[in-house]
Amino acid sequence: MLLVFYQYLAYAQEPCNIALNIKLVEKHNGQVVSPAVVHVDEVNLTVEADEKGIVTIDKLCAGIYTFHVHAAGHEHYLEKVNVSKNGELKFRLAHLEGWLDEVEISEERTSTVIQDKDKLDKEALTQQAGNNLGDVLKTVNGLNTLNTGATISKPVIHGLHSNRLILLNNGIRQEDQQWGSEHAPNIDPFLANNITVIKGAAGVKYGTEAIAGVVLIEPAPLRRKPGWDAELNLAAFSNNRMGVASATVEHNFKKLPPLSFRLQGTYKKGGNYRTPNYWVANTGVEENNYSATVGWNKLHYGVEVFYSHFDTDLGIYRGSHTGNQQDLNAAIHSDTPLVSAGFTYDLERPRQHVVHDLFKAKMYKDSRVGMWHATYAYQHNFRQEYDITRTPTDDAQMNLTLNTQTLNLNLEHVPVWGLTGELGVDGIFQENFIQPGDRLFIPNFRSRGIGSYLIERYKGADWVVEGGLRFDYRWYELFNPEGRNGEVVRYELDYKNLSATIGFTKNLSDDWQYSVILSNAWRAPQSNELFSAGLHHGAARIEYGNKDLKAERAYSINTEVKGAIGEKLTTDISLYAQYIQDFIYLQPQAYQLTIRGFFKTFGYTQTNASLSGTDITLNYNWTDNFSTDLKSSFLFARDLKAEDWLILMPADRMTLGNRYQTNVGNKLKDAFIQVQGQYVFSQWRIPENFDEIDYPRPPDAYFLLNATIGATVNAGKQPFQISLTGNNLLNTRYRDYLDAFRYFVDQPGRNIILRLRMPLTFEQ
Amino acid sequence: MKSIIMKNIAFVILVAATIMSCSKADNNDLENPVVHEEELITTVRLIISNPSGFNQTFDYKVDNGIGSADPSLPEVDDIILDANTTYNVEVKVLNEAETPVEDITEEVIAESASHLFLFASQPTAGPGAILFSNGSLDSNGEPFNQRIEFETQSVTNTGTTNGTLTVTLKHEPTNKAAINPDNAGGETDAVAIFPVKLQ
Repeated sequence: MLLVFYQYLAYAQEPCNIALNIKLVEKHNGQVVSPAVVHVDEVNLTVEADEKGIVTIDKLCAGIYTFHVHAAGHEHYLEKVNVSKNGELKFRLAHLEGWLDEVEISEERTSTVIQDKDKLDKEALTQQAGNNLGDVLKTVNGLNTLNTGATISKPVIHGLHSNRLILLNNGIRQEDQQWGSEHAPNIDPFLANNITVIKGAAGVKYGTEAIAGVVLIEPAPLRRKPGWDAELNLAAFSNNRMGVASATVEHNFKKLPPLSFRLQGTYKKGGNYRTPNYWVANTGVEENNYSATVGWNKLHYGVEVFYSHFDTDLGIYRGSHTGNQQDLNAAIHSDTPLVSAGFTYDLERPRQHVVHDLFKAKMYKDSRVGMWHATYAYQHNFRQEYDITRTPTDDAQMNLTLNTQTLNLNLEHVPVWGLTGELGVDGIFQENFIQPGDRLFIPNFRSRGIGSYLIERYKGADWVVEGGLRFDYRWYELFNPEGRNGEVVRYELDYKNLSATIGFTKNLSDDWQYSVILSNAWRAPQSNELFSAGLHHGAARIEYGNKDLKAERAYSINTEVKGAIGEKLTTDISLYAQYIQDFIYLQPQAYQLTIRGFFKTFGYTQTNASLSGTDITLNYNWTDNFSTDLKSSFLFARDLKAEDWLILMPADRMTLGNRYQTNVGNKLKDAFIQVQGQYVFSQWRIPENFDEIDYPRPPDAYFLLNATIGATVNAGKQPFQISLTGNNLLNTRYRDYLDAFRYFVDQPGRNIILRLRMPLTFEQ
Repeated sequence: MKSIIMKNIAFVILVAATIMSCSKADNNDLENPVVHEEELITTVRLIISNPSGFNQTFDYKVDNGIGSADPSLPEVDDIILDANTTYNVEVKVLNEAETPVEDITEEVIAESASHLFLFASQPTAGPGAILFSNGSLDSNGEPFNQRIEFETQSVTNTGTTNGTLTVTLKHEPTNKAAINPDNAGGETDAVAIFPVKLQ
């Protein structure tokens, strides 16, 4: 039976002036359901829910009303309610498995195979406003970050990162030198209306490098109703005195209903960040981003054009670019950072400057066989590194360009024999080159790839089964300067792969849902893994590539159980196990003597690895206003050939949060206070030869206390959302294993963040 | 219906073929990368002289090379000096991979404030040691030591001694008063270890 929860407020009862506040939530995880439409039969009233899944209906007479709720991706909800006074209703809609949450009523559908998916909705993203993408994603259970200091943050899914996961930037695979451990994603989180994280191999739909998973960064669909929409987001961070401002404006033309556009821009500027005891020199950041979208959307076809520009300057802590192994050891053993600093916004060398331009054109057309989509994208990534030089210069020592073109064609076909699904073709063309006179980094290359896939889904009474198949071909042409004279040697390499997936979801009862997915993914070795022959700055090590590396192939099994126990407790438990054949990693080799002294050397090699673990989320609603949630993640990563643990894997962690939310009078809506404690274990699962590879041992376990208070303020005509967050409130001194700066400095200390969000709507 | 499907499939294949045969926009830069190893130092040279006519050069040389996978063994000259004598020493750093040989010492002297030469003798004192004094100063009056004086100590009863001399060049040291390279901070640009024989 469908459950409905009532709460009556002590308002005076008046005939035909009854107001109802309806909240729409997903049945199993309590998440907001939006977009959705509520229809009341007896008064023939249809109302759209807002982005919080809330519908307000007033001026009702007392009586019995039949409520219908339609929301894409959810079962049709029907409930008869006896209305006699003002009240609040909560309707719990059951999610239709197999559909991605952002399946819009008439917008582009991004259907995908059944996977372990976590979604950050607009509300969740607003709470992270101003953070970089890695830090935003870190809030998802099972995700971590790989850092180079606090400003450079790369997402890690179940222990894997860089080119073992895909970032889909508005549907386009982000190509921004993601193989580099110091290369953060060049994506502005403010572009997103929601972010979905798919955990687990997703090679069939997304192609190569989807080994750990896929992150879908998706903007809201363009406005369809005539009029203007605007939003302003402001955030101020105390720790590095950073200010962030982002604004969006959107318009749909009354005279030309199919035409809409959106303009968006973000500016960010921060200075050195501070640990509990000292400032970290040269760690400022500046970002200038903007984007534009224009769409022509008719019922059966449409075109959308999108352009985004991302421009960032990042300082790198000067003391991290050490010289030889001895220099590194001296830095590690020093109690205080060797390079001291106060606060400044100035950026010195070493620093990075990265520009990423993305142009996308998408077309969709309905036909008798189904919905066709064609997407073309061009990405230009320009990465400059300004190193420490002996003599002052204005030049960058590395100027690396990566141009990528992608073309995707797919058809979501009409149901055939009860099967719904899609087939598609992906093509990619890439060129990567340095500027003449740069220092050697990775060889120049040109690459082409083509893939084609088929995914089919069959829905039973209370179960869904999904299967997919994909074939990929990748071809590389590399130009590597070698030897004393830097003579260019040309290499040609190609890779083929067949991926498959099969998934099954079943509703065990009204409250419980179970899914299991077997999938695989692959990736070709990256050019740095094949051809490195040089010093890795800031790590005092020389890395040697290996031309004979084979492609990695990952096979994973993910199971997820989601359910509600009684009225108050909901759980989400996922278990995963992944076998990666020919897993590429760096193996320590002999020390090498150069004029600069001794350096450790490492060579790229392959082994077979297994990564398994569990992500557990429990949520308990003590009352309608007060809830507690517990999230924990555990990862066991093994080198199967060495029969030992894998190096550099995130430690287990647990987060416990408490949240109290209520309305305060008429002026403060959804006022909340949230207190959260996070405990990160020390990583004890390290290989026996750890001391040959790395020093010192992984840092101690640590505990962080965070809190946020906030509300939506309805003062006057313009509502706005305000929140005040305190991170690391106890100003704990700690280091994290996955931060390359752990050799040199502590993690940031206390950070107080003030956020303001003003949605402005101008109805016509 | 069939012709529409056929047309669509044909279109798909055509586009895919176009992608696959996308011809490079004659990108010469891509196919001919020209790399430049920044500020390569291959050689640390000591020019040791004294007023009584002694004047010799001792080199410590390691060939790095770009993309070389063979660890180079250093070519080192033995330093043979008289005991109980004072010498004037000048350090030069060179890039002998270039032709003509690039003398990097000029640049280092021009940026003396952000460089420091450090000298260490093994043993540090007593028979067989070398003591260091009167090191040259940088543009701020802080230690620089591109020129320095060696004061060789005595020999042991057996007549000769064997020790080592380590010369380190640090870039952007955080502590210019340091004697030990580990306390100086900054990055090691060159470190040369010479065998020393006093007689």
